[in-house]
Amino acid sequence: MFTDKFQVPQSRGHGYHGFMTSRAHRPGIVAQLNRRAREWLLGWARLVYLGALILVLALSPSSYGRSSRGVLAQHIYHNTAPNLLGFTLLCALITLVITRIVIVTAISYGLSQYALQVVIRVLVLELIPLTAAMFVALRCAIASGVELSQMRRTGALDALKARGVDPVRHEVLPRVTAGIFSTITLAALSCVVALVMAYLAVYGFTFSGVAIYTRLFGQVFSPAVTLIFLLKTLFFSLAVSLIPMASALYDPVALQVRTSAEVRMLVRMFAVILLIEVLSLVGNYY
Amino acid sequence: MSEPTDLSSTAAGPPPPPPPPPVEEVVSLPPVANLEFKAVLLLVFMAALVIGSALYVMYARGLFEATQKLVLVSEDSEGVVVGMDLTFSGFPIGRVRRIELADDGKARIVIDVPTRDAHWLRTSSVFTLVRGLVGSTNIRAYSGILKDPPLPDGAVREVLRGDTGAEVPKLIATAKELLENLNSLTAAEGAVGASLGNFQKLTERLNGPGGALSVLLGNEAEAKKLIATLDRTNALLTKLDGLAAKTDTQVFGTRGVMPEARATVVQLNALLGEARTSLKKVDAVLVEAQAVGANARAATDDLSTLRGEVESSLRKVDSLINEVNRKWPFARDTEIKLP
Repeated sequence: MFTDKFQVPQSRGHGYHGFMTSRAHRPGIVAQLNRRAREWLLGWARLVYLGALILVLALSPSSYGRSSRGVLAQHIYHNTAPNLLGFTLLCALITLVITRIVIVTAISYGLSQYALQVVIRVLVLELIPLTAAMFVALRCAIASGVELSQMRRTGALDALKARGVDPVRHEVLPRVTAGIFSTITLAALSCVVALVMAYLAVYGFTFSGVAIYTRLFGQVFSPAVTLIFLLKTLFFSLAVSLIPMASALYDPVALQVRTSAEVRMLVRMFAVILLIEVLSLVGNYY
Repeated sequence: MSEPTDLSSTAAGPPPPPPPPPVEEVVSLPPVANLEFKAVLLLVFMAALVIGSALYVMYARGLFEATQKLVLVSEDSEGVVVGMDLTFSGFPIGRVRRIELADDGKARIVIDVPTRDAHWLRTSSVFTLVRGLVGSTNIRAYSGILKDPPLPDGAVREVLRGDTGAEVPKLIATAKELLENLNSLTAAEGAVGASLGNFQKLTERLNGPGGALSVLLGNEAEAKKLIATLDRTNALLTKLDGLAAKTDTQVFGTRGVMPEARATVVQLNALLGEARTSLKKVDAVLVEAQAVGANARAATDDLSTLRGEVESSLRKVDSLINEVNRKWPFARDTEIKLP
């Protein structure tokens, strides 16, 4: 149903539409560029469309009926639970090391009063959400994308459609929701752990510095910064969850492309993540 | 692969939602015990994390503490950012909430002070806005007398500004001026050079034949004159010396003026004594003369009474004679009786 709209017909050979190949024995450079540009734009348009679709489905209560709750629960659990402990420990270790480096360097320049602010701004605001998103992407979202493309290749999606079940609602939505949930949970948890580890690295196991630390934290997290941080995490989670799905659903499975679908999908994901990060930095510091 | 449902059955009406096909046929996820419960637990955990973080951010921004307002008025609020701390003895006791421009063109810095820290600020507290050459601006509060009444809510205070960076251009300009002056002073034809040259000439002259005297007087001729004058003065003094010695003998010697004067004084003394005695005698004479005079006065008084009595007796005699004349026919009738 919905997915039919943007289906690119399976290509035959290396032309793209039948009537073109009869006109020229070799497509011109301009025609090729034109085709590539159209495909590129089409890819992004499909992604945005899928995103809108998923958002509507996610926000409508009928998607969480009894039947779908089980699937949702399964995906959520499998995307989140195995990563929690490992990622948290990794975050704690990285935070400790980076905080120590920053504090020692700052003290050597006599700028220790700015060291904690630097740590909070760099780690909690920028690095942690990025790392959480990349982690979820690499461990869960890409795997989900691969699953989905497999399902599409084997025709399971068509079978679902034939049975009257919307494959997007049934297969894509739980995976996307699970990806979003997983990213947000991981980001939130690792931010909290990073804050605690930074405090411990500077003040040790006492409560004497809590007031000053809280004040510093309040100074860094102004309303604008907090908003940008929340939006950034949300958009990261959307990007990480949606792009593999879109790639699995819409990318042509033809073999003439130079790079495989997964790599292109990864490139696209990294590009989007980078764009979101740059926008958030501009919003914070410009 | 699942069995496709009979298409004809869908024509009757909206079909009931079919049970979802088992996922294991495409993807095999390991079975999990109490899956739903664990998923719900995860959801609750995430919600708790997010809500807890939100509450912590709000607490850190001071949304849950009662505050009172303090307004600091400054000429220039450069370097002040919203969210900055107001420190007292190094401890942050307030946060800048807003910076606005007043009607008179001055900057108004609105600060929120938590009520639990407000007792450190008194009506006599002083506020400073200090901006060093490096580092950020600092707003500090100083309370000298902690027994004064506490600062009321909404108080407006003038803030003292210290800006080291603004002093630097002034300092540089003054230093430049100073260096220029110094340069002109110490230049080859400058005042210092000329003074040093003069000083050199002075020392040469000091060391020369005339010495300090020629320096004082300018040239040797004058110096010689002065020396000659000194010699003459010396001679004069020796003469005076001799004169003094002679005067000494003349005046104070055995035959000098002084002993004779003394003798004269003694004589005068004797003379004075004699004069004193004669004056005493004269005094006695005068006393007698006084008595004589008194007698004469008394006699004069008597004389007048005597005269009066004589006059009355004479009058009586006269009247008597007249009586006698009347009565005595022998009296000559001098009157001519007319018929």
